[in-house]
Amino acid sequence: MVSIGVDMGAKNVKVVVLRENEVIGKALVTAGLDTEGALKEALQSASREAGIDYDEVGNITATGAGRKDVPMARDELTEVGAAARGALFHFSDARTVIDVGAEEGRGVRFNAEGRVIDFVINEKCAAGAGAFTEAMARALEVPLEEFGPLSLKSDREIPMNAQCAVFAESEVVSLVHAKTPKKDIARAVHDAIASRITSMVRRVGVEERVALVGGLAYNVGFIDSLNRDLETEVLIPPDPEYTAAIGAAVVAAERGAKASEGGENS
Amino acid sequence: MMEQFQEWAQERHSYAQEWKKQTGGKVVGYFCTYVPEEILYAADILPVRILGSHEPQDVTEPHIFGMFCPFCRDCLAQGLKGRFDYLDGIMIAQSCIHIRQAFTSWEMHLPTDFSYYLPMPNHVQSKRATPFLRGELEKFKGAVEEWTGTTITDEKLNTGIDLMNTNRRLQKQIYELRQGGNPPITGLEAMYLTISSQTTSKEDHNREMERVVSELSDRSTGRSIGTRLMLVGSENDDTEFVNMVESVGATVVIDDHCTGTRYFWNESEPNGGDPLEEIARRYVDRPACPTKDWPDRTRIPHVLKMAKEWDVAGAILIQQKFCDPHELDIPALTKAFHEAGIKTLFLEFDVTVPLGPFRVRVEAFLEMLSDEDLF
Repeated sequence: MVSIGVDMGAKNVKVVVLRENEVIGKALVTAGLDTEGALKEALQSASREAGIDYDEVGNITATGAGRKDVPMARDELTEVGAAARGALFHFSDARTVIDVGAEEGRGVRFNAEGRVIDFVINEKCAAGAGAFTEAMARALEVPLEEFGPLSLKSDREIPMNAQCAVFAESEVVSLVHAKTPKKDIARAVHDAIASRITSMVRRVGVEERVALVGGLAYNVGFIDSLNRDLETEVLIPPDPEYTAAIGAAVVAAERGAKASEGGENS
Repeated sequence: MMEQFQEWAQERHSYAQEWKKQTGGKVVGYFCTYVPEEILYAADILPVRILGSHEPQDVTEPHIFGMFCPFCRDCLAQGLKGRFDYLDGIMIAQSCIHIRQAFTSWEMHLPTDFSYYLPMPNHVQSKRATPFLRGELEKFKGAVEEWTGTTITDEKLNTGIDLMNTNRRLQKQIYELRQGGNPPITGLEAMYLTISSQTTSKEDHNREMERVVSELSDRSTGRSIGTRLMLVGSENDDTEFVNMVESVGATVVIDDHCTGTRYFWNESEPNGGDPLEEIARRYVDRPACPTKDWPDRTRIPHVLKMAKEWDVAGAILIQQKFCDPHELDIPALTKAFHEAGIKTLFLEFDVTVPLGPFRVRVEAFLEMLSDEDLF
């Protein structure tokens, strides 16, 4: 059976097509203001890549902030549940998933079936999220894609006190004025985010192994800081930004199978 | 059927002003539910609780530290903005230092004819607490008599006690109707019921409860009940939050808040002729606020018993930001709930609540509670 997971995120629409537990198509479209158009485009493009007909699709499950705006979805799943199922899809030994996107950081602990045991989401503060990295890279005049690798070159630890993205920027400027090498500042920034994420995730209890998903899973500097902070080696799935959509597609398949077992009345 | 309570809660200021006009009586604003309203009613005074308005404000910064709880700042803001200008007096009973700061600041900047600090003992588990409080109530009664120029007789005190006890009994009776599989009122309606009991004359409030109570057992809210939840925390009059929770597949069936069950759960017991002792004992014995719940944590078995009797699947632990007494209880409460097989969601409240991010958390929590269905 073919199932589809749609992750209607705050910024991007991600669609994953799954057949017998294998990803056969995927697409990411930036939503902008036309979410409806982006959704349609992502669905078409993923289906085309998968080479499927619409009537082959057994079930569609939506997740993400805009999951209510996916009319073709038959059911839905929260971002928390989707992150757990998506992480487990890639790594059967994962029990904690850390999901850091542009504006939100999440930690989810789950059992071997992907059932959520506890979760935590960052509150009213961007200092632990991807937007913080972008702001700091901008302050250092370093392209975002170079910011992570730059931080790997540092072997110095500089503690950053600021817990607020705006104050942290002024701290970075002070470091620049003190002629601190950019690579050390980059590492200080990643250490600071990792520390905030780690202390948040510790609230739910970190259980091995830990998977990292979301946009920040592309940032090698952040991964390095997080590994040091958690004293572990986090697992990074391929295409980490598709994890929630995969989680939704897995649940779509399960629920679809259950519905057909249950017959006409279910 | 429950609309009157909502209207009273929302129109609390015009209600109090109208009451004053009609009766010519005095209105006293109080900051904490350890204030013995019996004595105020005995002097024909209307006690109204000072609550916030959940609007961002910028007037309290010179008076209260930013790391004091948002509720105490919101309360003071109401005074500074002139919304309680009709008050003839204010009072507080000792509970936490944050709300006391709101009281002392109000006293300093918004002087009223009457202002009273009642040293309610913190160590309510001591056998000396009741006689101590009785002595303080005697002093308080004297202060009210001096202010109003009247004598508060035992007969008047007993009238005050009756009024308060009737109110408590009726509220509890209505809350007990929520134990069944199909609660006749929503959590939002219950919240309005209790808030209005703190802002309306108990005579009016009792009359309205007596009117609705008999009809309620046959009432259906006409909505799906979903997951049964409990709310636990300090003060919580955030109607928008409860409304959001009940719009995503849940019903709040019980709570432990001082704007909820802690306010009315126990009545005073007749003791054969000393009304002040009777009142003192009632406040010493009431479900404790965490500021007074030590060395034993009596609140935990009480809360768990309610969770069981109201058959809740999960509990939302509401923490007013910077509220240390409640924060101290949260790890112990969380542990106790988990051991009882009840999952919890911790949320930190501020003056305004970020409904969107909170909806994400509540939905994920409800999904976690109903996860068994998935497998």
